[in-house]
Amino acid sequence: MNCQQFQEVLPHIIETGGSADEEAHLQSCTACSDLVRDLKYIAEQAKLLLPMRDPGPRVWTNIEQSLQREGLIREGRMSRQGHTLTITQTQKKSWTPLGSVLAALAVITLAVVVINYHPRAIVTAHNSPATSSITADDQTLISQISQQQPEVRQAYEDGLKEANAYISDAQKAVDNDPNDDAARQHLQAAYHQKAMLYDMATSRSLP
Amino acid sequence: MLRKLPSSVILSATLMLGAAHLCAQSTKQGKFNIARGGILNVFDNAGSITVHAATGQQLIVSSTPHSPKVEVDSSSTPDGRRVEIRAHALPQQKPNNDEAKVDIDIGLPPGVAVTINAATAPITVENVSGDLTLSSDTGQVTLRNVTNSHVLVKGIAAPISLTNMTGGFVDITSNSGAVQLANVSGNKVSVNTASGNISFQGDCSGGGNYVMITHNGAIDVFLPQTASVDLTARSITGSVENDFPLQAKTHTSFVPDAGRSFAGTSNSGSSSVELQSFSGRIRVKKQ
Repeated sequence: MNCQQFQEVLPHIIETGGSADEEAHLQSCTACSDLVRDLKYIAEQAKLLLPMRDPGPRVWTNIEQSLQREGLIREGRMSRQGHTLTITQTQKKSWTPLGSVLAALAVITLAVVVINYHPRAIVTAHNSPATSSITADDQTLISQISQQQPEVRQAYEDGLKEANAYISDAQKAVDNDPNDDAARQHLQAAYHQKAMLYDMATSRSLP
Repeated sequence: MLRKLPSSVILSATLMLGAAHLCAQSTKQGKFNIARGGILNVFDNAGSITVHAATGQQLIVSSTPHSPKVEVDSSSTPDGRRVEIRAHALPQQKPNNDEAKVDIDIGLPPGVAVTINAATAPITVENVSGDLTLSSDTGQVTLRNVTNSHVLVKGIAAPISLTNMTGGFVDITSNSGAVQLANVSGNKVSVNTASGNISFQGDCSGGGNYVMITHNGAIDVFLPQTASVDLTARSITGSVENDFPLQAKTHTSFVPDAGRSFAGTSNSGSSSVELQSFSGRIRVKKQ
């Protein structure tokens, strides 16, 4: 089995684990194993996007434009309904492994677009905690707090969103000008905020 | 149903319920010998925690559970270096928010450090001089008349208020809770918030360093004419306003940007005041 054959059945492999041949190729091919690992990671991260507020029209437009630039779709091929990508009836009929790959690429592109906006965390808003997101570790922390002390769960969730938004903004400022002392101080303060939240959550008393 | 029961039964039940309520609300007091330089650790998620100066040399702890589903454990080391007070639910009990409350009142001898961990319980500390480490998720934190102490306060959405504090070090980290400082001075006064507003009123005396930094909270500083400060204010994307007479500095570590930053001194500039926001508004006013 070569890489092309492997990648043609990639969605099936990810879903089912693949056959012995496919597993053997995966073990021997660094490129394909890296691709599978990346796709699994993105799929995991994509799950975190589900409870988030839908991305704005700009994100969807970027996805569409990226796919068009890559030649994966033609202009007007991808439709948008509300904020949800939909597949037309015609497209459903031609739902082949290639279609699966395209869907996976759409997810990858979405993830890349989102991560490019917010490289340090999957955070979606500028100065807007209500639309900021939280990481997988944050989710775990919030779950623990929900069990121990449900009345303060919301405070922690909001706090983590605030801290992530702060980190995101400060990181962008540092990226814009690495020599900006103020930006660096903000980044330090932002991480201090997040460290405090984790410290307080983990050092709390028994209920 | 009630009509079918004899009135004596109803009366007895009422008395028993009342007794149980009184029992749950009953206050227990403990006295501990604690060494000067020792530490008191308090864990109380809900209810209230009050710390004030003791009249004698003993640590006096009064606790009032709001229900029989919670209790307070206390322990001390033989050398009197550490005392621990911990409110917790009894095994197999699942108290609701009100039932889980325990009010704790502490009379603190001088020179004893205190660490308090709370979730929703408001914390009030006044007229003490030991070091303080206070942590509250959402309960209000109030400090008054604390002198020569290292004060570390952490809060998530807890409003934090400090009044009349001199000497020592103050380090406050608050996520969304507002921070108010009135007549607070020390060698180092540091406040860091994410979205919580910061308000400072005082003369920044003592030649200390005052640093206030926030993401998108507002910073308001009110200084008297007599304040002797070397002040810088910078916002990355927010605005800065100054209504306090400052002499412009000839040299700064950054390029001043009108509306986004300013720097100057008043009087001899003995204390350093650094105000920073990412997008929040900074305002300095004459008191």
